[in-house]
Amino acid sequence: MDLQTRTEGSAIVVTLSGRLDAVTAPEFEKNIRELIDSGNSRIVVDFDQLDYISSAGLRGLLLMAKLLNAKGGQSCLANVKGNVRSVFDMCGFCSVFKIENSVAEALAAIA
Amino acid sequence: MIKIEHLSKQFGDFVVLKDITTEIKTGEVVTIIGPSGTGKSTLLRCLNLLETPSGGSITINGVDILDKQTDVAKIRQKMNMVFQSFNLFSHLSVLENLTLGPIKLQGISEQEAQAKALGLLRLVGLAEKAGNYPDELSGGQQQRVAIARCLAMEPEIILFDEPTSALDPTMIREVLSVIRRLAKEGMTMAIVTHEMDFARDVSNRVLYMDEGLIYEEGTPEQIFEHPQKEKTRAFINRILSYTRRISSPDYDLYAINAEIEAFCEKQILPKKTRNNLLLLVEELLQIYAPYLGPIVLDMTITYSEKNDRLELICESTGEQANPIESASLDDELGLMIIRNLTESIDYQWINGKNRLQFLIKK
Repeated sequence: MDLQTRTEGSAIVVTLSGRLDAVTAPEFEKNIRELIDSGNSRIVVDFDQLDYISSAGLRGLLLMAKLLNAKGGQSCLANVKGNVRSVFDMCGFCSVFKIENSVAEALAAIA
Repeated sequence: MIKIEHLSKQFGDFVVLKDITTEIKTGEVVTIIGPSGTGKSTLLRCLNLLETPSGGSITINGVDILDKQTDVAKIRQKMNMVFQSFNLFSHLSVLENLTLGPIKLQGISEQEAQAKALGLLRLVGLAEKAGNYPDELSGGQQQRVAIARCLAMEPEIILFDEPTSALDPTMIREVLSVIRRLAKEGMTMAIVTHEMDFARDVSNRVLYMDEGLIYEEGTPEQIFEHPQKEKTRAFINRILSYTRRISSPDYDLYAINAEIEAFCEKQILPKKTRNNLLLLVEELLQIYAPYLGPIVLDMTITYSEKNDRLELICESTGEQANPIESASLDDELGLMIIRNLTESIDYQWINGKNRLQFLIKK
């Protein structure tokens, strides 16, 4: 998994690529924790380049939502498709998270 | 008719037949199936004394054919063989191929031999080719001539050693229909074949050979519909499998994934199926991980070409308990994914192991 971040106004966009699985989820969680601890409270996660997600990756997303809630922040996911979308559907995650079709729409949703 | 007891054959240190005991009764059609290199052809060649057995006994109607006094030529007349590669005499016409044996070995007149040969050529549908030479015939026609030549010696039993293996698919049928006809007429036959549908139709009894033994035998229904032993099942259902033992919580997920991908690649499984399989394996490993070390997990993926069924079997040591029901999980996410990816989940306690069997959605 590769994780890139960039600032868009008052939000931060986290772009994931590759696999978010049992091996890479701890790294994702560590990065998210650092971002939130350093004051970021509005996060967009872009899944456009992510090929694979397992329950370990989903737990990382739940942790992000929990940490943001505790600080009154919010998140939105973008470009959830293909295999990743199937796993979201299996676990009912599409109703748990705000999901938009593009990063721009996701940024607008939490503006 | 033929009784084989504790037959063995080895070439130097290489043991081909370990301990074969079986019987072929008059009028019976016995097919011998099994993977290549398991001694099927060697068994036939031992019966026909083309190979000398290393041990055991073969008796025909009570006569021990391994006795040094035995007239081998006479035995071969009684028990004639049809080979994979036809073995016709290329310098003789079709008719001469059929008359040579009866004239030389049975001492019948040329006229009588020719009349009999023509009758047999009619039986295999090749009377009009009597004057042709083997090179002028197709493979299927040559094999039918070889069968007619075999019948010309009026054998009591015919041994067929993969009679269609050297033929194009279009010619296989014509040869099999001749053998089917002989079966209908009550000819005793032992047939080594890879044609499973044919073996199922034509036989009274099927011998499945593996590891130099008759691993399982029974009626076609028993062997093809309800094989009891694992290797027979795998062979009949053309099952290919991959097994990985995991005995530490520090397993290398990516190495396991690479091996699974290689297995899927070999079976040409669709990409979506591969992804589902990788996801299922990861989710299961997450459930087993806290217990690995004290317990050992064997994960087997099996794919049946015949049924297009992909299964994952997890066998684990430890106390009797369904691993996915008894695991202490923080949430249900893994289980939700597992249930979504599978059509059925079956738990059994077998041979002191917890066995979970998952049929994977395609």
